[in-house]
Amino acid sequence: MNTESAMPFEYNQVHFEELKKQQRKKVFLKGLLFLLPSLLLFSIFIFYPMIRTVYLSFFLTNQAGITTVFVGMQNYIDIFTSPIFMKSLTSTFLFVLFTVPGTIIVSLFLAVIANEKIKGIGFFRMIFSSTMGVSVAAASVFWLFLFHPSIGFFNKILVTFGFDKIGWLTNPEWALASVSLSTIWMNIGFTFLIILGGLQSIDSHLYESANIDGAGFFYKLRRITIPMLSPTLFFVVTVSIINSFQTFGQIDMLTKGGPSNETNLIVYSIYREAFVNYQYGTASAQAVILFIIILIMTVIQFKLGERKVHYQ
Amino acid sequence: MIKKFFALLMASLLVILAGCGSNQTSSTEKGSTSEKDDKQVVTFWHSMSGVPQETLNSIVEEYNNSQDKVQVNAEFQGTYEESLPKFHSVGGTKDAPTMIQVQEIGSMSMINSGNIEAIQKFIDAENYDMSGLEENIVNYYKVDDKFYSMPFNSSTPVMYYNKDAFKKAGLDPEKAPETFEEVEEAGKKIVKSNDQMKGFALQAYGWLFEELLANQGGLLLNNDNGRTDTPTAVEFDNEKGKSIFEWAKRMTDAGTFANYGTNSDNMLSGFLAGDVAMFLQSSASSRDVIDNAPFEVGVAFLPHPEAEERQGVAIGGASLWMSSGKEEAEQNAAWEFMKYLQTPAVQAKWHVGTGYFAINPAAYDEQVVKDAYKEMPQLQVSVQQLQATKPSFATQGALMDMIPAERKIIETALETVYNRGDVDEAFNSAVEQVNAAIEQSNAARGK
Repeated sequence: MNTESAMPFEYNQVHFEELKKQQRKKVFLKGLLFLLPSLLLFSIFIFYPMIRTVYLSFFLTNQAGITTVFVGMQNYIDIFTSPIFMKSLTSTFLFVLFTVPGTIIVSLFLAVIANEKIKGIGFFRMIFSSTMGVSVAAASVFWLFLFHPSIGFFNKILVTFGFDKIGWLTNPEWALASVSLSTIWMNIGFTFLIILGGLQSIDSHLYESANIDGAGFFYKLRRITIPMLSPTLFFVVTVSIINSFQTFGQIDMLTKGGPSNETNLIVYSIYREAFVNYQYGTASAQAVILFIIILIMTVIQFKLGERKVHYQ
Repeated sequence: MIKKFFALLMASLLVILAGCGSNQTSSTEKGSTSEKDDKQVVTFWHSMSGVPQETLNSIVEEYNNSQDKVQVNAEFQGTYEESLPKFHSVGGTKDAPTMIQVQEIGSMSMINSGNIEAIQKFIDAENYDMSGLEENIVNYYKVDDKFYSMPFNSSTPVMYYNKDAFKKAGLDPEKAPETFEEVEEAGKKIVKSNDQMKGFALQAYGWLFEELLANQGGLLLNNDNGRTDTPTAVEFDNEKGKSIFEWAKRMTDAGTFANYGTNSDNMLSGFLAGDVAMFLQSSASSRDVIDNAPFEVGVAFLPHPEAEERQGVAIGGASLWMSSGKEEAEQNAAWEFMKYLQTPAVQAKWHVGTGYFAINPAAYDEQVVKDAYKEMPQLQVSVQQLQATKPSFATQGALMDMIPAERKIIETALETVYNRGDVDEAFNSAVEQVNAAIEQSNAARGK
């Protein structure tokens, strides 16, 4: 009796489970269908090249990039024992350290002053964001003139005030700083625009109440502007760091990695290894290292930085 | 709102698609017209910019107008360093150009690539006479008794100097310093007479190092500069190689050296602005320098250390390579164009228009050249320097596929010395790195 009554119930249960499973499968397939275009594009343009890079990093290659000899981890061992690659890593970290805070502080300053409502502010906003419209190549040529050792603007000023000329791009002590300076200038436009957007979305009531309470400019900046801006700043910091790690154009135009490899940033080093020396294996190994570094940096940022971010 | 957006998106997609479509039709139309005209199209990748590009374009145009069988399309593909990787990635496919200009150090890499047709095949097919060409050029481009590529633009490094500055410093403007030591002395006198001007600039450029080495009879790589067998190690790790570093060091210490790093444009504009009195550069810049300088420019032979005799220079520049896997008609058309480029009249125009020398000595008898020499006798110096060169493995130039890497390493080492680094340390580390690069390059070939 007992078993008889339980049978249909169990049967029902199984049937229901089955249905549910089928339903889930359907939903999953539907979801996959929606994801398909991006998955397809990602696999072709991101995942396949990435896997291929990892694969190449275990080989030596001929000039067409076709693998010839399997060397296992040797490429990795080689680059980590090479003083040139280690220098390239140090330079890259220094470069990030110079450019990211520099860009953000300058852009934040410009955005705060451009956020005032005065007549003709649109003109200033346009000027401050204009570097976004200048390509890296054009900007580099322009900076090349400024940095020129004998007829450059900077050295002319130095000479007028009675100082010695500086080899901006040829002196190892200055080169990285010079490239950083021009990079900060190039990045200001974009960062400024994003931060200004963030500033304008802050509710003005907050400032009004603060004004009634008699808060000063800096107090408002510290207690209202920065916290309310934190999601924007977080975004800008993440993007800038990744961008800095991937800097290539200005290095190629301004210094070609010189003097004495002082500005041989990692992406330039990869380019040189692959397309000048035709060592696609070592280049791939370096690219994998760069990927890991950026991955770690981003994870750390999300773990540490996001806690401090205040989302409205 | 969303509907509107989609409508807009659709409309823009349509426009894009239509654009692509019309592009395609126009290109096929183009193809069919060229077939109608029976013109064989030859794609020619080159790396000439500035004045040489203008000259080259006018030569190509004249060729296209001179006959109705071949249409040469000259395409600028960036510097030598940029166009070579491009060729390597499309080599053997239908996107590869019919012919490409490759600089001399890319020769071995082109031969190893397997995507080229040695032009010896065309020479043999019609018994074409290559003996009319400049002997030193033939020496350089003949590998294992075989021509792989057609020489085209060749230059040698020369020393440019500011004659007005020489006069001011009490030096003889007609007699340029010949040795390293004389260059140093002249530099000191120039700085003394004008403290705003430096004496000498040596661009950190691997090619110049190789040439200064060859001028002393020094070999860059073992196995006779790679001419008898694939090199296994460097051979410049001796006094000859080091003397160049020491020379730069002495001038840096004396304060007569102008450091422009690896940037040749900065060095050139520094020279034109009167910031430096002497510098080394390819003779291909002769026209540019002479035409643009507000003072009188002297051109002289490459200096050498007093202790060593002058041996002469290896040629630099580029040659023209034929792609394999193209239709025979297309290759033959490219071959016709290559032969045209060698004719005395074309070479005369090329020589006078750029400063590259004529690979066909008969060009020097052309009236254009004679007229130009009367006006600019400096143009002759590179020709004389080449003809005074003693043929040897050193002046034949080194042959290996890792030379681009070698150049970068030497450039870094030179820059270290320019910035008051230690000569021995920089030099030894350069030797070590080049050896490692040779080793890796040999290993990568799987031999």
